[in-house]
Amino acid sequence: MATRFIFTPLSAEFPASNAPALDLVNRRPVLWFDASTDETCYFTGIAPQGLTGTITVVITCLMASATSGAVGIQAQLEAITDGDATDLDATTSFDSVNNSSSTTVPGTAGYIDQISITMSNADSLAAGDLFRLSINRDANGSAITDSATGDLGILAVEFRDSA
Amino acid sequence: MAVLDDLQRAELAAEGMRDRRLGTLANMLKADWRASVDAADTWLNSNAASFNSALPVTARNNLSTGQKALLLVFVITKRYLSGV
Repeated sequence: MATRFIFTPLSAEFPASNAPALDLVNRRPVLWFDASTDETCYFTGIAPQGLTGTITVVITCLMASATSGAVGIQAQLEAITDGDATDLDATTSFDSVNNSSSTTVPGTAGYIDQISITMSNADSLAAGDLFRLSINRDANGSAITDSATGDLGILAVEFRDSA
Repeated sequence: MAVLDDLQRAELAAEGMRDRRLGTLANMLKADWRASVDAADTWLNSNAASFNSALPVTARNNLSTGQKALLLVFVITKRYLSGV
């Protein structure tokens, strides 16, 4: 596997509503995702030359208060190729959602965990495409069991391919 | 007065989890926290009359429901939340 991008909280983009809170935890930038409401943020990039195979997103995170239970994270990709008839002024075109497994949180709040999501639905992302990666916590448990209390904090997002 | 409805209890549970003063919620799942909110609300509903009757008669007859609620908040805050 090859690391293609590393996104930090400071490069996150936010929707008009239900966005995670950009904050600091011990001076480290963090995005806090609510425990009850699904909150979403985006990261934008240009798919690098040589991109190949299945994409995996690895999310480094911590819990604000929980020491038990599990969390679920969802990711979606939107790929725009030069010449695509996609009006960015008015359109979003994310592929179907990809789910993490329901992942048991660390036994100590503040310890990190790394959660992988295999991007089976990658919107046919190819080298040179403008892309957005959408990340949300499945706080309402609509697709993944998410039983842990309190906020989930995302510290970094790694974007890998199969190279 | 009835207990809070389901949506109000859900909102309260969500608001509570956003409050960093809670600190670590060791060994508590979201379902456990919500059950705690429900139990606290049910207990308050069941014991509101008892609290009211414990007040001196002047206060009981002259404070509004909101003022009595704030009185309870003040006492709880002083007893259990000093320095939090």
